[in-house]
Amino acid sequence: MNSLTTAFFIAAAMILFAGCYMLVRSHNMIRLVIAVEVVMKAVTLVLVFAGYSNGNTALSQSFIITIIVAEVVVAVVATGIAIAVYRNNGDLDLRKLNKLNG
Amino acid sequence: MSASLATLVYAFIGLPLIAIVLLNLPNRKFAEKLCIGTGLFVCIVQMATAVIAVLLLIEFNKASMSFSQFWDMHVADDAAYFSVDFLSAVCLFCIGMVGAVSFAAAGSTVRDKILNYTNMMMVLLLGMNGIALVTDLFSVYVFLEISGIASFLLIALYRDPVGLEGAFKYLVMSAIASAFILLGSGLLFLEFGSLRFVVLEEMLQAGVYNNPPLVWLALFFLVAGFAIKSGNMPFHGWLPDAQTGAPSPVSIMLSGIVEQMSGTYATMRLIDIFLLNKFTVVNIGMMLLALLSIVLGAIAAVGQTDFKRTLAYSSISQIGYIVLGISCGTVLGYVGAVLHFFNHSTFKSTLFANAAAVKNQLHSTHYDDLGGLQKQMPIAAATSVIAGLSTAGLPPFAGFWSKLLIIIAVWQTQGAFVASVALLASIFTLAYFLRIQHKVFFGPEKQRPAVKEPKDGIAIASIALSVVTIGFGILFPVLLLALQTQGVL
Repeated sequence: MNSLTTAFFIAAAMILFAGCYMLVRSHNMIRLVIAVEVVMKAVTLVLVFAGYSNGNTALSQSFIITIIVAEVVVAVVATGIAIAVYRNNGDLDLRKLNKLNG
Repeated sequence: MSASLATLVYAFIGLPLIAIVLLNLPNRKFAEKLCIGTGLFVCIVQMATAVIAVLLLIEFNKASMSFSQFWDMHVADDAAYFSVDFLSAVCLFCIGMVGAVSFAAAGSTVRDKILNYTNMMMVLLLGMNGIALVTDLFSVYVFLEISGIASFLLIALYRDPVGLEGAFKYLVMSAIASAFILLGSGLLFLEFGSLRFVVLEEMLQAGVYNNPPLVWLALFFLVAGFAIKSGNMPFHGWLPDAQTGAPSPVSIMLSGIVEQMSGTYATMRLIDIFLLNKFTVVNIGMMLLALLSIVLGAIAAVGQTDFKRTLAYSSISQIGYIVLGISCGTVLGYVGAVLHFFNHSTFKSTLFANAAAVKNQLHSTHYDDLGGLQKQMPIAAATSVIAGLSTAGLPPFAGFWSKLLIIIAVWQTQGAFVASVALLASIFTLAYFLRIQHKVFFGPEKQRPAVKEPKDGIAIASIALSVVTIGFGILFPVLLLALQTQGVL
């Protein structure tokens, strides 16, 4: 690995850390969905640089297109659930989502 | 030969897709009448095809057979997209079996949402069949997402508060798990330039990698991701909530097969690829995860006050046994894990089918509302005794043999201490099972309007599964001898 890819990997790790921090700290459902998306973006960046550094860009591009599609579906389902929760109890706070005592 | 084998893939991947299209062509009223029949047909065809696949493998004396995408069946083994071997055939059979039980239970439980349920179930079956068939790590991720999304939608089928809560928790944990799995795959891709199982296996066997820490990190992320998906103990938070919140037939599916396919089956594949008898630290890590799940899952199950929630914690504990068998890295442990995989999907779907029957009659699964149901619901009571004894690992039942193999394998590789911990945890299994029996079926009868056992699909399914449990337990020595003559053990 040259220094350019190392720098890119550090950037991806920082985005990953930011996403994980948001996952742990926030209690809002929409924010949680955004945090999940941020984490997935960091992972996608890792795949981009992996393809770049071993010269297999075509394969990594096809991976990334597939990941984007799968991710969009997850985001749609997650926001759909958040909307349904909001309709039920008029709030998006996760701490009030405790009917199951989990 | 290849022409007859080619039809197998259509049954596993094509049939659910065709079923979705056909069910949505006619008008809704008419389609709703066909739903359960179609679902049962797809599941039974899948079971039959899995049996045929095993017979073909034995007939042609091959370890696996390979397929490409739909348009190309004549393909070399190392360029295949799908492949069927003994492990995936067993898993495909289990998927068909649990799917059939779920459809049998659906008739009386999710009657008003049956079309939505059937469509999503088909997607779920498709996703899990895909996980069992694919031959590269990235496709595993894709099919994991497919089955995951179908599960979230099924849990939140009624859009009620509990279902939505369970679905959201599952969604967040599952997204984290997917990110981990993808990160691990990305690191492996960086190192090897390919994610195909065959290529990874070759390169790892030859030891041609120049960056060992990267491979270790990738392995760490993959094991952690699959541990979240299968609900091992430190990552178990979502599992009881998702299963308690889900409608009854969906929790049969989730507990019986979804966790196992998306977590444990993938871990078994990792063993094949990474030859984990070399990476001993990873084995010890997996063993610790498994022991934690076995012991804490069983202890937590004793303290629960809800039928379904107890069963959910019981799944955590039993899946711990499967992972413990895998973590040995020996053939004996592997065989034990596969057999426990099969047994877990039979007895856990029996118990969840009983929970579905109870919930159907009393509209509750909380222990305060249950009790003394033995007289009114004799079939549910009797089958849950059989399933529970099989869970606890008592001799005549199937669960005993698989647990025995796992514990012997653990004794051989990791010493007597670990084996005795796993053995002692079985006592807790018996404890929470007796508690279930006492609170739900035996014990004093509560004041309530009279209930009676419905003679519907649930009763038939739980009787059939109990016959499988007992029959498998009695015939097990025959199977063991067959494995020995084949030279597997």
